[in-house]
Parts: sequence; structure tokens; C-alpha cells
Amino acid sequence: MTSAEPATIEFDIRGQICPSTLLTALREINRHATALRRGEITLLFLTTNRDSTHTIPESAGNMGFRVEVISLDGYYAIRVFGNE
Amino acid sequence: MSVSPAVMLTAIGLILGLIAGFVMHRADFCIAGMFRDLFLFRSFAKLRVMVLYVVAAMALFEASRLLGLLPLYPFPMLGPATFAGILGGVLFGIGMVLAGGCVVGTLYRLGAGSRVSFIAFAGLIIGSTLYAEFHPFWKSLLTATTMFSGSITIPQYFNLSPTPLVLISIIPLGWLVALWWRRGQLSSRLYAKGALHLWQAALLLAVISLASYLLIGMPLGITTAYSKIGAMGEQILFPEHVANVSYFATQSISCRNPLTGMMFKGGPGPAMDSIALIQFPLIAGIVLGGAVSALSLGEFTVRHPAPWRQYISAAVGGVLMGLASRMAPACNVWHLMGGLPVLAFASIFFVAGILPGAWLGACMLTRWVVR
Repeated sequence: MTSAEPATIEFDIRGQICPSTLLTALREINRHATALRRGEITLLFLTTNRDSTHTIPESAGNMGFRVEVISLDGYYAIRVFGNE
Repeated sequence: MSVSPAVMLTAIGLILGLIAGFVMHRADFCIAGMFRDLFLFRSFAKLRVMVLYVVAAMALFEASRLLGLLPLYPFPMLGPATFAGILGGVLFGIGMVLAGGCVVGTLYRLGAGSRVSFIAFAGLIIGSTLYAEFHPFWKSLLTATTMFSGSITIPQYFNLSPTPLVLISIIPLGWLVALWWRRGQLSSRLYAKGALHLWQAALLLAVISLASYLLIGMPLGITTAYSKIGAMGEQILFPEHVANVSYFATQSISCRNPLTGMMFKGGPGPAMDSIALIQFPLIAGIVLGGAVSALSLGEFTVRHPAPWRQYISAAVGGVLMGLASRMAPACNVWHLMGGLPVLAFASIFFVAGILPGAWLGACMLTRWVVR
């Protein structure tokens, strides 16, 4: 039996005021925590905020989630996913 | 070929600003965030770095003073503590959180192409200029609420050499910094391209502040120039009004530059005086430093709009910061990066004001701006 690829929910927060990225990320991680843990979804945050490239991984890591940060064309994509 | 003092000082200001802007962008050294996150996320992580900065700057300033390298001590334009000034600190704290950055955070992000920071910058100039309209009233309030017999620093008030008091401050704070360092609480894993750790930026900025003190005669300061930019614009539209506003006729600096011997004289008015000579290159340098850093990383962009609430927040925050930086008087950079290391009363009280201000700003931000 093969498991389905998790769906990705994307949040484009590029160009926004400083704490917006982390506040949005924390809110959405909490909202989707169960589905994230089950591996049903991953959350993708697009940001131009350099600070959030380490505050989101730190916060999500403390909540038990895994994170990858990818540098793209002038911005960052931060993917949060469960352990499974 | 000899270089005129004005050209030399312009070049120094530009270079120091450029390095500061570059370093701040690489580390995202956001002083507003340090105070805001204390209340918004219950996180002291970034504020630890400010403690490291203060310890480093204290040691560097005091060592330089003992070596006779700081003839202007305490530095010019640093006033006594006033109760009214604390209110300025509160207002500044609210403003910097709503604007998404302080007076320099706004500049390096503006250099990286942030639209929100451009609005905050415009707000800063408007607020700094509006202050001129009620300066006589506020000045009388500052005078009436002056504390500690007008002494500028703690050592002055107790008629002591600064050295023992600086040591008394450095030893416990330095012990705390060492403890945080051992526990790994001063750094975190970095993912952004070309990123500097906040602690690295703090140490570099302490050296830049010292260089500014040694070469220009005072640590980094930029907010009087915001009033000047506003006065210059207002003079084009309402020249008679500007001529009659008493604040624009005040002289906030009168001292001799220790490096060149040039006499500094100037104030917030529209003239191209010593304030323009000292602060304009610094402002331009910080914006340029942010731009150079962002361009070299391929991260310069003006493409991404923010929600309308955030533009309003940046404008209101900018105006509040501009007003508050004149009411305090002076801004967070002046007080935190220059005044605190010399144990200035006004800077200690400014910090006392900025803390509740940042708390109020964080409440407003989550209630009305980022929802």
C-alpha cells in the first residue's frame, strides 16, 4: 500500500511587516497541528523576512515539527511538516 | 593634496553608515524586534544581544576615555533625564513596534527595497517635523521635569570617576553574557544566505559606535536630521512659517570635532549645517549598506506589496517615532548604543519608557494590524 503525498498549503507573506511572518506561521501551525502530525499536509511560508528563516524553524522545532528552508529568487520558502 | 574637514567627515559618516547598514541587514539586527518579542513571544533571546552590545560598548568607550581618546565626554547633544522624556520613550516604543522597525531598522530595510519601510521613513520625517509645532510647550515641560540636578550621567551626579561605576555595571552584565554564551543562548542555527549571528553584529556595531565617537566626536545618531529633512521640504512650501517656528532656529550642537578641529554648529532647521554634515551621510550610508547587502545576495526587491493595514501601521508608527525621538529627546540608537554605555540618566529612563511602549505596541499590532 502506498501513502498519498501530503497536500501543501501555501502562505505568501513576502513584503510584510516584520513579525507578520512568525505570527502567521505560529497561528497556522497551531491550526493545522493534527493534520501536520499525521503527515496529511505540509505548510509552506514564502517570506522576504530574513529573521523568520531562523525564528520559524526554532519555534516549529520546539513544537515537534520538522522544517526546511529553501532560498529562492530573492525570497525564502519555509516548509513545515510532521515527523512521519 | 589636502582634504577639507567637511569632505573627510562626510566620507567617514558614509563609510560608517555603509558598514552599519550592511552588518544590520546581514544579521537582521532589529532593535524594535528585540523589545517587541519580549512581549509578543515571551522571548528574551534577541534582547540578550543588546546586553552584549552594551557591555562591549561600555568597555570600549571607557578604555578609550582612559587612554585620553575621548575629549568630548559625555558626548555632545546628550541631555539630562526628564520625566517628560520617559513619555517620549513610551511613545517611541509604541511607534517602533507599529512601524516594524526602529529609526535604523527602517533605513536598512528601506535599502533592501521594503515598501513598508519606505512608508515608515516618510512617517518618521513627518513626525519629526510636526514636533516643531509644539516644541516651546514640550521644552518647558522637559525643563520643569528635569531630574538629578541636570546631571547627564550617573558618575557626574555622584561626582565620581566613571571607571568604578562602569566596572560595577560590566562585571554582573559580563557574567550574564558569559553564562548565556556557555549555554548557547546567544546564537541559533542560521538559514538565510550570508547571515551574521546577532552577537557578531552586536560586537561589530560596538566597534562602529566607538569609531564614530573617536572620529566624529559622538556615537551614532540620526534623528535630528529627520527634522532637518522635513524643515527643508516645508521651507519650499511655507518659507514664512518655517522662519517663524522657534524649534527650527535652535542650535542643538556647538562643539569642536576632535579629529579635524572643525567647529560643529547646527540644529534641526533647514540650513546645511553641522547636523547635515554629521547625520546625512550616516543616513545615506545605512540605506546604501542595506542595499549593497541585499543586492549582493540577490534579495533586493520592491515587488511584494503588504496588506493595507500594514502600510497604515507603518505610517502611524513612523509618525509616532518621529515625534517621540524629538520629545525624548533622541532615539533608541542614540540612547541604547551611545547613552547607556556611558551610564546616561536620560538613556536609562528612555529604556524604562520603551519597555511599556513596546508592550502597548505589541498589543496594538496583534489586535489591529496582523490578524
